[in-house]
Amino acid sequence: MTDENNPHLLPGKAAVTSAQPKRGFDRWWFLVAIVALLIIYLITAKPDPFRRMLVFIADGVRITLLVTVSSFLFVMVLGLIAGLGRLSKNPVISTIASVYVEVVRGIPLLVQIFAWYFAFPSIIQSIGVKFHIPAFENYLANPVGMAILGITFCYGAYMSEIYRAGIQSIARGQMEAARSLGMTHFQAMRYIIIPQAVRVILPPVGNEFVSMLKDSSLVSAVAVADLTRRGREFISQNFIPIEGWTLVALVYLMMTLFASRIVTWVERKTRIVR
Amino acid sequence: MEPIIKIRSIKKFFGSTEALRGVSLDVQKGEVIVIIGPSGSGKSTFLRCINRLEEYDEGSIIVDGIPLDSTQHINQVRTEVGMVFQQFNLFPHLTVLQNITLAQKVVRGRDVAESDRVAKELLVKVGIPEKADAYPGQLSGGQQQRVAIARALAMNPKIMLFDEPTSALDPEMIQEVLDVMMTLAKEGMTMVVVSHEMGFARAAANRAILMDNGLIVEEAAPDVLFSNPKEERTKAFLSKVL
Repeated sequence: MTDENNPHLLPGKAAVTSAQPKRGFDRWWFLVAIVALLIIYLITAKPDPFRRMLVFIADGVRITLLVTVSSFLFVMVLGLIAGLGRLSKNPVISTIASVYVEVVRGIPLLVQIFAWYFAFPSIIQSIGVKFHIPAFENYLANPVGMAILGITFCYGAYMSEIYRAGIQSIARGQMEAARSLGMTHFQAMRYIIIPQAVRVILPPVGNEFVSMLKDSSLVSAVAVADLTRRGREFISQNFIPIEGWTLVALVYLMMTLFASRIVTWVERKTRIVR
Repeated sequence: MEPIIKIRSIKKFFGSTEALRGVSLDVQKGEVIVIIGPSGSGKSTFLRCINRLEEYDEGSIIVDGIPLDSTQHINQVRTEVGMVFQQFNLFPHLTVLQNITLAQKVVRGRDVAESDRVAKELLVKVGIPEKADAYPGQLSGGQQQRVAIARALAMNPKIMLFDEPTSALDPEMIQEVLDVMMTLAKEGMTMVVVSHEMGFARAAANRAILMDNGLIVEEAAPDVLFSNPKEERTKAFLSKVL
């Protein structure tokens, strides 16, 4: 009875990625090959509209990656803080963390993004008007910034639950051994518990990353020129819904396939020998 | 002589059950004490109170002149008291060497060269110098427990606590761990050992203690306690174990 290292007990959204590392290897190459071939075929066989569209949506792909990757980095930090907060023995801290998680998880991400983009700047402006702070009065929301903030705030709540479960899955004896050597609670967390917990939570974290990549399409609703929005612009200009949405879907699929692959690779690199 | 561990009538409750019902004990420097008793008798809880892994509700413990009363004192005592667990509790994400050097660095503030040197010396002492770069999961139970002993010794403790160190081991691995413990005892380490290894107790211990139901029932030299117990409870327990 050493550590229970069972990521399947962890909460998290429905598994999207993540085949078993070994079996998935062939399947993954197979899928990637099909998707890549399909895209290449479409571009070469019908350069108009496909090649034209791919060039048009290229900067959208960059924005989607920017929003996803930077949100993810913030989410990893916010999730850790909130997760530790929920485990805190201090009732004030754990209550704040619990309320944050429960509230955020109960509101659709799209609504949250709208709130950040439309409501939040208005609040800042009214505060500016009331207290005569010019910087606040003239505050204008940066769409990409608000998109990243919205996704971070929402996914931070889910991530905190993953962290919490991961930390709780590390056997109590690990903390006791660390403390018996004279380490402080903080040192034990820093050197012993969290490094192990991070390895345990990698699979669900990978799922979250892939979910974020897909949910980032919601930011197209607040004037962020991501892949979805650029695709929609091109489609409505050229009246090609079937071809257009097919290409957008294939590009997303290609990105999520690579994302889940990276997760599997990291997982294998950091596995603990037992 | 002032005892190095001074325990005065400690009590410990788990909810409404009284796990320790007023246990007192003095341990002299260099003494080896073996505690036996049925499961649920409070012997492990008692041991874990000595470095305050378990909080106690009443009574007092003074280790090497430091009372266990504040966080600062507790951490100070823990650096002086090494502990070995039944389940080894090695850090699985670190190599054997890192297991032994980590606390030296972050708690004792030793540099890399110094802590590596100490760790390698101790691995020689516990007989597995070749395993420095292995991970705990690659070792047998006996080897893991010896690493755990080395990890505790690396902090230069004045006292070592052993919580059923051989109970999770396969029979053929028990002796290699007991040998290391024997060496420590001969070198004059102060040790409190919860264990039913009568052979070790007879050979190494100055005193053996039988605990039952949260109390010390009988206390004597190991030979006397095992061969010639006074209390009925001790006789009943020994007849089942021996």
